[in-house]
Amino acid sequence: MRLPVPSSLRQHLFCGITLGLIALTAPFPALQIILHALLVLALAPRPGAPLSGALWAVAAGWVLEGTLRLYPHLGGTAWANLTVVLLAGWMAGRWPLEGLRGWLARLAGLGLLHGLLVHGAVRLAAGPHPWGWGWLWPVLTLPLWGWLSWRLLHAPAGTGRR
Amino acid sequence: MALRASRWRWSRAGWQRLALVLLWAGHGIWVLMGPASGQRWSRASEAITRPSQGLAARWAERRHSQRDAALELAELRADRLRLVAELEQARLQAMREAPRHAEADEAVRLLGLKKHIPLELGAARVIFSTRPAVFGGLILDQGLDRGLVQDQGVLVPEGIVGRLWSVSATQSKILPADAPNASVGVMLMRSRATGVLQGLGSGRALIRYVSNQEVVQVGEAVLTSGLDRVFPRGLLVGYVAEVAPGDLELRVILNLSAPLDRVSAVLLLPPQPPVEVQPPFLAPDVKPSKKRGTP
Repeated sequence: MRLPVPSSLRQHLFCGITLGLIALTAPFPALQIILHALLVLALAPRPGAPLSGALWAVAAGWVLEGTLRLYPHLGGTAWANLTVVLLAGWMAGRWPLEGLRGWLARLAGLGLLHGLLVHGAVRLAAGPHPWGWGWLWPVLTLPLWGWLSWRLLHAPAGTGRR
Repeated sequence: MALRASRWRWSRAGWQRLALVLLWAGHGIWVLMGPASGQRWSRASEAITRPSQGLAARWAERRHSQRDAALELAELRADRLRLVAELEQARLQAMREAPRHAEADEAVRLLGLKKHIPLELGAARVIFSTRPAVFGGLILDQGLDRGLVQDQGVLVPEGIVGRLWSVSATQSKILPADAPNASVGVMLMRSRATGVLQGLGSGRALIRYVSNQEVVQVGEAVLTSGLDRVFPRGLLVGYVAEVAPGDLELRVILNLSAPLDRVSAVLLLPPQPPVEVQPPFLAPDVKPSKKRGTP
């Protein structure tokens, strides 16, 4: 059974709220990076409309790097976000969602890829830097924000299960 | 067959794809430029603008050099104008001072001559000259008021001038040595032959009564003999210019050494001086030598 695609207004509303939260949570990097992963991997991708998702992902990258104020040359995160969100949108169109488990698995795979791409792009843009443990927070909290995004976007109304 | 022009138009999806490609490629290029992009841009812009910067620097340097040159030229012009004004002022001053300087030089020369003649010499100024006229002479600014008398000898450092012919209350008239009636006792320096001077005018004179037996050379100096009791022996009169044998005596013509037309101050010998006077011993001006080690 294929799940219906969420409405565009609802998706953009959640994306905007999350982007604002990313900017507001700059003093809490762990929370900020989780919101960032939520926006890029779960909320922004939309099958058949890659441009809007790409713009949200790029905005999320620029807001994250701009509020971090750590890198000498910005843009690496936005580029990685753009790449990942395009891939996620293509995957959503190519392999439509059929359940929460598949959604979480897709998020996990995209999350790992996203972490690698962000690190590589930031390395290209800003120069070598240590890995750190920031990537671990989205992975550890994946069930939480994955389930939340599932509930917000894809779950049928009135039910808490698939 | 009618052909309809096909209208090529992009779909909305095509525009979206193009925007995505541009967005992705733009971000990628931006990322690949890396942290040193600013330096690269600076280097590239510097390399591009280097010629224009060089030209601008040269132009600015040229402007500065021109401005400096203009300032220097203005200063030089101002200095030149100031120096011209100062030079003109100095010339006017020199022209004003020239008579006094000439008179001072003449006084110095007269003072030098006075040191060599051990007689009581007086000085007088020539205030007028009537030499161009017949029986002309020189007018002095002194007369009886200063104790002058007739037949006092008059001389300048170059030689004798003549003698006082007439003396009035405040002025005197000199009978120059080139006057026809100027009878000055002279002698030739080498042969010591004596004669009497008879003026020919224009600074020339003839020596009378020199025997044909005498040997006289052109250029020989002629001195006073002291026999006329106007001049003492040994004062310079002139130099022999021509010598020609005559019937009874030599015809000796000399050029007077004193510039009679340019005399402005003269020395006056005392009346009837001695025939011969000994010049005083004048110690040469020797600079005091400093011994080594003395301050």
